[in-house]
Amino acid sequence: MNSAVLKKTMYWFVVPALTMYLVFWIYPILRLFQYSFSDYNGFIQNFNYIGFDNFSQIFKDGVAGTSLSNTLIYTLVFVVFSNLIALGLAFLLNMKIRATGLYRTAAYVPTLFSAIVVGFIWSYVYMPDSGLIATVLSWFGVDGASLNLLGNYSSALYAITAVDVWKHIGTSTVIFLAGLQTVPVDLEEAGRIDGASSWQVTRFIRLPLLATSMTINVTLSLINGLKAFDYSFIMTNGGPGRATSTLLFEIFRMAFREMQYGKASALAVVSFIVIIAITIFFVLRLNKREVSA
Amino acid sequence: MNGGIAKKTLTHIGISLVLLLNILPLLIALSSSFRSVSNMTNPLQLFSEFSLESYRVAYDKMHFMQALGNSLMLTVISVIVVVLFTSMAAYPIARINNRLSKALYLFFLCGLVVPSQMVIIPIVQTIQGLHIPSSQFTPILMFITCSIPFSSFLYTGFIKSSIPIEVEESALIDGAGLMRRFWQIVFPLLLPVTVSVVITQGVWIWNDYFFNMIFISRAAESPLPLAMLGFMGDQTNPTAWNVLFAACFLCALPLLVMFAFLQKYFIGGLTVGSVKG
Amino acid sequence: MFQGKKKMKTILAGVTALAATAALLSGCGSSDKGEESSGGSKNVTLTMIVSGNKAADGQDFELDVLPKMVSEKFPNIKLEVQKLPDDQYNTSIKTKLAAGEAPDIFRVWPRMGSAASIIDLSKAGYLADLTDLPFMSNISEGARSDMSNDGKVYGITKGIDMLGTYYNKDLFAEVGITEVPQDWQAFLEACQKLLDAGVTPIVMGDKDPWWIQFGAYQLAANTVYSADKDFDLKLQSGEKKFTDETWVKALSMYKELYEKGYIAKNTLGLGGPQATQMFIDGKAAMVFDGTWDFPTLTAQGAATFERGFFPLPGNEPGQPVWQAVSTAAGWAVNAKSEHLEEVKQVLNYWFDSSSDLFAEWVKLNPSISAFNGVPLNNDLYKYSYELYQSGGNSIYFANQMWPNGVADTLQVKFGEIIGGRKTTTEDVAGAMQAKFDELWKK
Repeated sequence: MNSAVLKKTMYWFVVPALTMYLVFWIYPILRLFQYSFSDYNGFIQNFNYIGFDNFSQIFKDGVAGTSLSNTLIYTLVFVVFSNLIALGLAFLLNMKIRATGLYRTAAYVPTLFSAIVVGFIWSYVYMPDSGLIATVLSWFGVDGASLNLLGNYSSALYAITAVDVWKHIGTSTVIFLAGLQTVPVDLEEAGRIDGASSWQVTRFIRLPLLATSMTINVTLSLINGLKAFDYSFIMTNGGPGRATSTLLFEIFRMAFREMQYGKASALAVVSFIVIIAITIFFVLRLNKREVSA
Repeated sequence: MNGGIAKKTLTHIGISLVLLLNILPLLIALSSSFRSVSNMTNPLQLFSEFSLESYRVAYDKMHFMQALGNSLMLTVISVIVVVLFTSMAAYPIARINNRLSKALYLFFLCGLVVPSQMVIIPIVQTIQGLHIPSSQFTPILMFITCSIPFSSFLYTGFIKSSIPIEVEESALIDGAGLMRRFWQIVFPLLLPVTVSVVITQGVWIWNDYFFNMIFISRAAESPLPLAMLGFMGDQTNPTAWNVLFAACFLCALPLLVMFAFLQKYFIGGLTVGSVKG
Repeated sequence: MFQGKKKMKTILAGVTALAATAALLSGCGSSDKGEESSGGSKNVTLTMIVSGNKAADGQDFELDVLPKMVSEKFPNIKLEVQKLPDDQYNTSIKTKLAAGEAPDIFRVWPRMGSAASIIDLSKAGYLADLTDLPFMSNISEGARSDMSNDGKVYGITKGIDMLGTYYNKDLFAEVGITEVPQDWQAFLEACQKLLDAGVTPIVMGDKDPWWIQFGAYQLAANTVYSADKDFDLKLQSGEKKFTDETWVKALSMYKELYEKGYIAKNTLGLGGPQATQMFIDGKAAMVFDGTWDFPTLTAQGAATFERGFFPLPGNEPGQPVWQAVSTAAGWAVNAKSEHLEEVKQVLNYWFDSSSDLFAEWVKLNPSISAFNGVPLNNDLYKYSYELYQSGGNSIYFANQMWPNGVADTLQVKFGEIIGGRKTTTEDVAGAMQAKFDELWKK
């Protein structure tokens, strides 16, 4: 099995996937780098190379700053809440009770709907006056009419993040559940017999064993958050003002509304670097903890 | 004993409440979809009316059977190819422990961080440059490509952790070739993680409208999400929200059914696939 | 893991069956390409992509009626139509154009309006010259020239659109407003009356930011363009600026409506559909919108009332009202189409005023026709339309002469004012000027 001949032939198995990946993913990305140094407008094929102008323009505009900080806030809130809630839910659903299948399906259902649909339903939830939240508040005598989550500068970003959290919880929960199932039952029981409280069992037996699923979940939600686009696009159009304009939304706006594909590519390259840097940083940190845990 | 039952009931009630809150927005949409087309008043009165009119309108307007057929075609072909290609790719990466494998693993994983909206123009130019005609089948190329990173990640983890090399040994002694060993011995053992791949990739491919919108230019070839987009245009027609919600559920129904059947294997597949690895 | 094997087999069998069904279902409808028809002329399939909203009743002109009537008239021509919402359409058409995959017929906007505009696309050589088509002489001069560049006609408009104020006649009567406000002062007084009576005077769907344009352009018509119809040409030459007094004034007037509470609070949280719903439910007396939204604004809501439509009077007393009236979006033909002859056949049939297809189109078209001799469809617009025809005091929608992106800046920055930020109207105008300078290339 360890002969060198076998090894080399095995790599032929990578070829189909690798070819597609190189042709339809990596090559276009390299083209994007090329466009970032041009004044290409997205559809007229003769364009000029203008050096680093696009890059300096981005930072001069302050566009990069606003959208970057929006994206980072979004990501932070998204990562923290989607994982905490999912973790809690996973503990609940891991209990030895009946109908867990039904409960798990219910927890996962939001994940199955497309972002368009989700954005649409939540627009109703957030609507001032007659929306879900406003109506529920009015039952308790709170004036829901003045509650304008999507239209308010300070809350819009959090409001759309919450939608993404809601949609993402199912996925994270399932991954945590999978992690919990790797916790050997006898280990838990041994802990209990030794007189550990259920909190102690959770803290010292379950949580450490969840380290891998934690890494996966944090990484996935991190990437998801940094790539945030859907709900800015569907629910708020980046607004009010630029309050919910994420990096990706800003790229989209430049490329397809202002017809500055070159400038959009430059921002894309910048955000690409940011995303990779942040992801690698976290993955390395988490991996370290995982090993020591 | 009684205390146990009480505790269990309480747990059930607790979980139910949490999950109810979770699916409340969907319930409202569901209840609205069962109203007649014109009744949009106070959607919070849940299930106050039961009419299939909205579903009938949505069904006709999105040419449901046709769109469903297109969706199934796109999703099934894409998922099958994804499963074949990425399980194959993961095999050497997981089996051989050297720098090349590690590099390939990371190289594939990197693709996860690039959003497709960003690169769409060069992608379409590339496809055009290869003289691949823009047809009903073109989105499949992109569905497969975009599924490669996560699927190969799942497969690699699974093979590393749960398919010990020993299972191939007897076949090796029999002189079985690489192809036979992979397809007859390893691939069947990959079933649990294959289910995970089918679900995670199937869901996004089923729901994706972006690539379909770019490549498909005939209404008759539109899959469900693209047919749905037509209803989004109807946002300006406020009286048709019920129809929109009905369309949403028609669109998601096949996925709901699939998930209900596969959820057990799904979690199992992830357990061994990613979490242990 | 191994116990589940049998079940997994069943599941796999199910999946295979699904795949087979899918192949069957998608198999139909794609078998008849390139055959010779009995008449000897070659069978062709034309593709068409447009943007907009589907008609609610399933009788959409572009999606349902047009393809059917075209294939009845020309058995060898099959027209395949796809309709997308505006934003998705723009992304899709641009990507297709960039890749040389554009459909035979597609949606374009007049002058420089929107992302797929006559001027931008014709400059890039994507549009076929339609000047010589026989029906062109039947289209009104203005509508033709708005769809032209360098003297050549590249598009056919859907018609003429007006921006205006839809109002609830019953609510107006209830609070004692007896006639349509004729100037700014009168308009503000009317709003105050409504407000005093506990009625929300105006509702807007500013969460969909383009709604901001609906009010702003009507006011600008009265402050900017009534004084200088060539403002935008001078803007392009650098002679005038957004920061000049007139645009700032239009913005300040618009701001006043928000500050005084005449436009409902929280409009930044309301989408267009929700705002429309409030109007047709009788919860607000007015809404600024265009003639293209006729079907939704006249739909039956929770309240039954009579609707009216008038141009927002941004004028001083004694001055005439200026209206924002514009050529609507329309259709253009791909210059690289392989079936130019057939496309022209279809267009000639469609826009021949005596054809049955033309009659059907006029019937289903919510815009006011730009073809000579076609009467006004909807009485609701009679007042504004007659005013437009008699006075000639009108201007196109302002963004049609700006690079795409300037209107976006207007929305973003004015949104800050609505949201109660410290942005001033001067800031808005300044940002628009900066964006214009960045994007305008001579």
